[in-house]
Amino acid sequence: MTRIQIDFAVAEGAVLRIIGLVERRGFRVVGIVMDEAGPTAAMTLDIQPRDRSRRTEILLPQIRRIHGVTAVHTIPVPQASAA
Amino acid sequence: MTVATLANIAPDTHPAPEPISGARMVVEALGREGVTHIFGYPGGAIMPVYDALPGSSLTHILVRHEQGAALAADAYGRVTGRPGVCIATSGPGATNLVTGIANAFLDSVPMVAITGQVASPLIGTDAFQEVDIFGITLPIVKHSYIIRSVAEIPAVFAEAFALARSGRPGPVLIDLPKDMAVGTAAPAPIVLPEPEHAPIDLAALAAADALIAGAKAPLLYFGGGVGIARGERALRDFAARTGMPSVATLKGLGAIPTDDPHFLGMLGMHGLKGANLAVDEADLLICVGARFDDRATGKLDAFAPKARVIHIDGDPAEIGKLRRAEVGLSGDLSAILDAFQATPEIGGWARWCAEQKRRHAFDYDAPGGGIYAPAMLKALSEAAGDRAIFTCDVGQHQMWVAQHCRFIRPQAHLTSAGLGTMGYGLPAGIGALLAEPDATVITVSGDGSIMMNIQELATIRRYRLPLKVLLFDNSQLGMVRQWQELFFAENFSEIDLSDNPDFAEVAHSFGIEAFTIDHRSEVAGAIERLIRTPGPILCHARIDPRENVWPLVPPNTPNTQMMDKRW
Repeated sequence: MTRIQIDFAVAEGAVLRIIGLVERRGFRVVGIVMDEAGPTAAMTLDIQPRDRSRRTEILLPQIRRIHGVTAVHTIPVPQASAA
Repeated sequence: MTVATLANIAPDTHPAPEPISGARMVVEALGREGVTHIFGYPGGAIMPVYDALPGSSLTHILVRHEQGAALAADAYGRVTGRPGVCIATSGPGATNLVTGIANAFLDSVPMVAITGQVASPLIGTDAFQEVDIFGITLPIVKHSYIIRSVAEIPAVFAEAFALARSGRPGPVLIDLPKDMAVGTAAPAPIVLPEPEHAPIDLAALAAADALIAGAKAPLLYFGGGVGIARGERALRDFAARTGMPSVATLKGLGAIPTDDPHFLGMLGMHGLKGANLAVDEADLLICVGARFDDRATGKLDAFAPKARVIHIDGDPAEIGKLRRAEVGLSGDLSAILDAFQATPEIGGWARWCAEQKRRHAFDYDAPGGGIYAPAMLKALSEAAGDRAIFTCDVGQHQMWVAQHCRFIRPQAHLTSAGLGTMGYGLPAGIGALLAEPDATVITVSGDGSIMMNIQELATIRRYRLPLKVLLFDNSQLGMVRQWQELFFAENFSEIDLSDNPDFAEVAHSFGIEAFTIDHRSEVAGAIERLIRTPGPILCHARIDPRENVWPLVPPNTPNTQMMDKRW
């Protein structure tokens, strides 16, 4: 499992746009946490590739080019969560 | 992302302007963006905008199906480089745009699609002609909006146009609830930040230059991104000063003139054998504005097996997506190509490539007296001259156009490459003619494809657009038949179109000049008539239903394993 954090501008459809892209690019979304603070929000997604050809380093630039996304990066997964 | 969100727009200190209706704001916003033509079809929820159209600076092209509007806007966007605009009502009007929006998305075409929507209080109630077009199109737009406040309309339109044309272009959808169109407000100010221009990565540039300098067999592999970035001049300069052979994707054709001696042709599934062999032998692949699409690469693991890769693209997300690049460079293609300094010693390699090109050139001397489509297209292309724009549909004829027509600019070849949309040809011809009225615009279609949007013959007639249509009729779904013949043990299933209408009579019924030919001896006269006729005209050419597109790389096979036919 990989955990990614996405910072983005709050706008209609923004959450669907991000999650939809992650799924279309071959990843399962297995966990979501989101915090909204005024005009911006941060979403943490736990994702798993559907097959071995799907690479997170290819996914991140795809997310980054969504309009309104300001930052995307992977974050460490605590040992208990990873298990 | 270089364009601010609406949330970031700074407040304006000027006095508030007079309130006007949302529909008026839409029309004025389009005018501010320099839009001259919009392609659409009216209906209930979008009627307030149509009410505001008369007397505006906009020319509305009334198509006969909303898909035609979106595809015409697509072609208009490809030719001009400015967003094509299509407009439709809610519900079925909006869903009929979807194929055209997807077409623009897959081929990175700038487009703004405007859809009417039921009034805000009715959204989510399953109201008459209500559909969630915002949700439906989420995966096939660069961005999208639902207008929630009348005052924000000018700012949303400004941002939508900026997004549609910036970076890697694409379609942007604006869904306009009816109450937003009829309501009035003082327009909110429009403030868009200057787009950012990322500097060239000098370390990557130096690494790429070193690879080029040391290469013994380098090859340029370019795609549609060159034309999108209007980077033809820089690409040609680079190719000329290095003497490097080149190959193109379907969408890249024309970025280097197809008759350039160092250009080896289209690569991939229906590419030229010389081009595919060069890719196989190259020790360095300089990929410019292409994305290692499966139709170009064949079996990806076997593609360019000896080559290191320099990948240059306007979209950083494409670099390394399918093929690892030793060096990736994203940004302004022209600036990057102009910055290269290396000039490799490749005389022997260039001669080898030229020999492959000569040895595997197409043979037009087909036996028999029937019309041989590749030869007719080659002759038509030569007769049409440098100002020609070819649009085509999807199928065998699409590949023949790519293989046998001459292109000296990417905007001269309008083809549905990514989505493969049958029905693209006629609307694309409309869009191309309105974008470039002085061009000789030729739509090449097939008897399967033309029926997908044949209603647009009425649009061609209405606006007296001098479109020249060459319709190849083999009374079959030819490409499907070819695959069934080759890969499904000749189990021919649902490809028979022998009950086609008389296409010349169909065209006549729309008020369009038309004629039918079925013998090779008629080809020269038909081409002359097509070129010389000042108004719209359709040439219905009956061809051998057994003819296939050659060469062909079977699916998931290395590009070197090409099936071919010789007489």
